[in-house]
Amino acid sequence: MRANEMAGHALPPAVYAAGLASLPRVGPSWLRSVIASHGPRRAWQLAVEGHLAPPSQPPREQRPPTPSLGEAARAVDLEALWNRLERNDIAVTWPDEALYPKVLLERPSPPGVLFMSGDPSVFARQPCVALIGTRRCTPDGAAVAYQMARELAEAGVAVVSGLALGIDGAAHSGALAAAAGLRTGPTIGVSASGVDVVYPRQHAALWRQIVRSGAIISETPPGVAAQAWRFPSRNRVIAALSQMVVVVECHARGGSWHTVDAALRSGVEVGAVPGPVRSSASVGTNTLLYEGAAPVRSADDVLVSLGHPGPGAPASATAGNLCSLAGTGPEQGTGLRSGGRRANVAGGRAAGRAPERPKGACDRAPELQAKALGRLELQVLASLGWRPLCLEEIAERSGLPLGPVILSLENLEQYGVIEGTRGWWARK
Amino acid sequence: MLATVASATLVGVEGQAVSVEVHVANGLPGLRVVGLPDASCREARDRVRAALMSSGFKWPQKRVTVNLAPSGLRKAGSGLDLAIALGTLIADGQAPWQPAARLSFIAELGLDGSLRPVTGTLPLAAAVATAEVVVAPASAHEATLVGRVGVRTAPDLRTLIGILEGRDRWPQPPPRGSYPPGPPPPDLAEVKGQVLGRQALEVAAAGGHHLLLVGPAGAGKTMLALRLPGLLPPLQPEEALEVARVHSAAGLQVGISGLSPRPPFRAPHHSASAVALVGGGGARLRPGEISCAHRGVLFLDELAEFPGAVLDNLRQPLEEGRIVVCRATATVSFPARFMLVGAMNACRCGADGSPGSCSCPEVSRARYTARVSGPLLDRFDLRVRVRRPEVEDLLGAGGPAEATNEPTHVVAARVAMARDMARARAVRANADLETSALERHATLGPAAKRILERRLTDGRLSARGLGRIRRVALTIADLAGDEVPLGEEHVLLALALRATGVLGREDQVPAAATFGKSGEGLAQVPA
Repeated sequence: MRANEMAGHALPPAVYAAGLASLPRVGPSWLRSVIASHGPRRAWQLAVEGHLAPPSQPPREQRPPTPSLGEAARAVDLEALWNRLERNDIAVTWPDEALYPKVLLERPSPPGVLFMSGDPSVFARQPCVALIGTRRCTPDGAAVAYQMARELAEAGVAVVSGLALGIDGAAHSGALAAAAGLRTGPTIGVSASGVDVVYPRQHAALWRQIVRSGAIISETPPGVAAQAWRFPSRNRVIAALSQMVVVVECHARGGSWHTVDAALRSGVEVGAVPGPVRSSASVGTNTLLYEGAAPVRSADDVLVSLGHPGPGAPASATAGNLCSLAGTGPEQGTGLRSGGRRANVAGGRAAGRAPERPKGACDRAPELQAKALGRLELQVLASLGWRPLCLEEIAERSGLPLGPVILSLENLEQYGVIEGTRGWWARK
Repeated sequence: MLATVASATLVGVEGQAVSVEVHVANGLPGLRVVGLPDASCREARDRVRAALMSSGFKWPQKRVTVNLAPSGLRKAGSGLDLAIALGTLIADGQAPWQPAARLSFIAELGLDGSLRPVTGTLPLAAAVATAEVVVAPASAHEATLVGRVGVRTAPDLRTLIGILEGRDRWPQPPPRGSYPPGPPPPDLAEVKGQVLGRQALEVAAAGGHHLLLVGPAGAGKTMLALRLPGLLPPLQPEEALEVARVHSAAGLQVGISGLSPRPPFRAPHHSASAVALVGGGGARLRPGEISCAHRGVLFLDELAEFPGAVLDNLRQPLEEGRIVVCRATATVSFPARFMLVGAMNACRCGADGSPGSCSCPEVSRARYTARVSGPLLDRFDLRVRVRRPEVEDLLGAGGPAEATNEPTHVVAARVAMARDMARARAVRANADLETSALERHATLGPAAKRILERRLTDGRLSARGLGRIRRVALTIADLAGDEVPLGEEHVLLALALRATGVLGREDQVPAAATFGKSGEGLAQVPA
């Protein structure tokens, strides 16, 4: 093997680390320990010579016979791997290395080798917040994720997410929108495939933008497609990178729960955006809230929770910040799903939360009066909520015939109080 | 000896006069049919021979040649049986030729010599060159619909010859209209709730607009659609005759109780093939379901379950009101001016389509609705979402919608009024208005114009959509008894009834094509 012959020659240590990560069935703890005790280059040589103990495995009879670690290592084409890293500008990092995000080492099961594409400095600078959620989201959920990500990014927070369709994509896009406005705030994508393997394909453009103004990281070696088992593992990294995990929308089951579980294990605060109780896409988040997750209505709530002086945070909220930080210990978090319902609400967070004025239609009440809404318009507005309703429902709720309802909706939309998408109307 | 007997054959939905020439001469005994007969026509040879012999006539021990003129035209069906049999008898000297020369003969023969009805009797009888036509007793009511042709019947060949020889008299044809007209169509009062659905149904009936109903399983889409024929105005006599011709050619029951003024309602299953839907087939080109729905309603339930290619066949007939079927044997034009009513779920799981209610992945939902192509979707002037009715509505607990459960006859009266106003504009319904006529009849008020301007500039409305909105708004105004110019309430209701994104995808409106492409753009909105 050429890689073997070249083993004595100078290849950068990163290539050896990448080679080790490419071996089959090696986990983060094995990678960490072999790199820590031998360094990447020596560890690779030992692996090729067959002197390295393979990761501990379940008893033989449960697994089909596999080639030994040495054989697998000899089959790896290190030079091709090196070319791939160079060509796609992929950085490789491991716990002792300078680029490695140190926050990961404070969490359970840090990645042994991490691949990075984009600007590695993003990890050093900012508090990170994960905005995650379902792929099957509502338009409303996507809009919330987008706006929240944008506002967080403008406040200097790095938005972490999983590059998936739905909420994840909306969160990345929102953060990028802030970055495009030069209000700082890059975004970090954690992928389950190799950092040069775009998945899902619909996100190819988004992927490029993130690499340009943020970073994409992955534990998966370059060129390797995402397999099902890598997604929960990816979610663990999302949780570990973040100071807070905010679930925007999730169903009763789904990948978001892996991230929430990982966050709870790491002592990372979990927040959830409340949603309509009859919306299937909000069942998960509402369950989280019921079990004591921090309610998140806007980016401000996240900033207050982080104790981060965001542009939108009112000055009077400082006291609330301290209290809320005091309430975010790991012991409180872990009680969330397994412990008693709402047990941790008794903590300082709920009591100390600074009273904030909710933003929305109430805020605009004087404004609306100035526009002199008619009786019918007010009647229609009163029947509208934040859950999107269709025309017939509005007519039924307001008790008006179709004609006046349609006219009022048009006027209300003109005033910017309500919003209609594809025939579903809701307050803005 | 030579004999000529008049008959007719079917080309599409039109009859074509045919003269059957029979030559009996010395030679090897046998019967030969020339002049492009199809299989069922060629089989006449065996039926005629058996019928003649069982009716007590002699089969000529000579060479019998039958020519079907014009010989370049392909003949199909068994309607020429009687004419061939009669021609053979006349040529052989067993029947008088003079009385037969004033008649045309359209019937199939049984082996026992009885006269049997044939498909398309109505157009066939309408095409004959003589003043009177002889048909099977079972087809008499159908042939009578023609009006200008005298109809004679005879139960069998033997009786017929007896009549021609002057030994018998023509039997009385069965009395007309002796059968009940069938059960009345279901009433609109049975539909609970469905404010928007009812409104859409009324506008569709009044303006002849195509209607797409989207909603979850069990919401009542089919229930609404079945009540549409009851709302439509009865057919004019000439329209009813047109419909009866097509139905007769398609082999449907026609004219049992006279000319039916009821608009047809056809609901083919989604397993229907393209040919079954648009027409075509073997030697004889049959009209398809869309022609059977001519002047009536074509209801396609579970629209998204129809293969996409089958549905796209509807695009040309929807525009032109007819379908031209070209085959190697013939090119035939079938009338197909129908109202298309489609019903479908918003996605395969059958959820109600509200944001977040559906558990299907985005991809599978898109694949489901993609069967209804953009161009076809665009032809639906009305697209509404149908909701599952509320519990109170179903149980009649006196909810607010109770008062709106109008029965069919009330709504039908308004529809008839709107149709009268459309007739004053020289069209059957507002959907048939030409773009140029819109300028004259569907002028926009200032408020309505503002609303449309806004929709056009932000790309929510296309130029083609604008014309359709104006037609629908005009129908709405007609129903309300309002005069033009159209007000904002008319235009807004039209926009609401033509909901974009009803299939969960935005309509394809390329920004550049918004103005001036089809001449229906803003340029023509009068100041």
